[in-house]
Amino acid sequence: MSKRYKSKKFLAKRRYTILAITLIALAGGLVLLPKHIANEGIKPELFVKNVMSSERFISTDLLAEKLVNIDPSVLLIDTRSEKEFNEFALPNAINIPLKNLLDDDYIGFIDQDIYDVILYSNDSFYANQAWMIGNRLGFKNMYVLEGGLNKWFSTIINPKYPEETMPREAFELYNLRKATGMFFGVGVIDIERERETTKKIKAKPKPVKKKVTPKPKKKKRVPEGGC
Amino acid sequence: MGPLIPNELIPLEWNFIIAILIGIAFGYILEASGFSSSRKLTGVFYGYDFAVLKVFFTAAIVAVIGLYYLDYLNIIDISQLYIQPTYLWAAIIGGVIMGVGFLAGGFCPGTSLCAVAIGKIDGIVFVIGLMIGVFIFSESFSLIEPLVTSSNLGHITLSESLGVPSYWLILIITIIAIIAFAFSDWVRSKVKKVFY
Repeated sequence: MSKRYKSKKFLAKRRYTILAITLIALAGGLVLLPKHIANEGIKPELFVKNVMSSERFISTDLLAEKLVNIDPSVLLIDTRSEKEFNEFALPNAINIPLKNLLDDDYIGFIDQDIYDVILYSNDSFYANQAWMIGNRLGFKNMYVLEGGLNKWFSTIINPKYPEETMPREAFELYNLRKATGMFFGVGVIDIERERETTKKIKAKPKPVKKKVTPKPKKKKRVPEGGC
Repeated sequence: MGPLIPNELIPLEWNFIIAILIGIAFGYILEASGFSSSRKLTGVFYGYDFAVLKVFFTAAIVAVIGLYYLDYLNIIDISQLYIQPTYLWAAIIGGVIMGVGFLAGGFCPGTSLCAVAIGKIDGIVFVIGLMIGVFIFSESFSLIEPLVTSSNLGHITLSESLGVPSYWLILIITIIAIIAFAFSDWVRSKVKKVFY
């Protein structure tokens, strides 16, 4: 082995050590670099992209299905005022009026990634605004009930009977909506009323009087005298 | 600034051109490093050649460190990069099948095509087998679909699932890589040399 070869081999070995040290130094540099947050929450470009996307909307049918199945991952949040909330609200909803959204008492409900937060209001406007605030701040798993309570009423509570020319799916959807509506207590009274009336009918069947038309008896002819 | 296409710095159509250029470069590097030889690849399992481990591990580390520096300098936005979703069980079972095929055939999909390109017969046989595998997978997809689509963990990363900041994770993995390289060199010195 010549001296040159030896020194070359030594350099070759050292080259790998130098490369290894460089890699570790660079990786360590990442750890040591002062951390900075470029934006509070998500970046504007991403926010605009999220706003334009309709992925945040969840349909009333899907929400009804989740409520019927008592999905434990759902957290319903009512963004309307307290007064409206007390008049009517979806089952198990929490009232967080839009102006109080970021209050210390409420922020824990929204800024988490355990539940799927579903926001709703009368229409989608308040809920959308709440969603935008939350999304900008980088909160996760937020959704908006499409059409809000108005659509909830027109689809689940009081679904429109499909026209006769509509496809079978429309009728199936109608039946499903009627059934889910019954889960929320709609139409139950009607059914009970119907039941009562049918009971009454069964208990007191109207006696149908048979009309008896008496045949006129042939009168025995009184023998006419004469002979 | 980046990634280039989502931020509309270059048009979407460039996707394919860049992919082809990167593919050609990748194939060239594979062939130039001798990866189109099945003996080189199986060397990892028998302990006489660890070039594959070293090359791929180094590539991953260099890429991740580079990306995070670029992110730090606001040249690229890491959060905009696409993360492949994790299907846990599908990945484990697929990994086992791939490992067995790797060891038995001596190629991974990329290197097998490299071998075909330089006219290796074992590479051609391997690619035919690969096509048969693809065919069987596609035909029986309805049967194995539950396995493929179940256990979806979403677009998770190591730092999210472990709760460790990514900077620390990169440092730890770099150190692991260096240790693995040193260890593989030690193993290689113990194993009988194979010349091919």
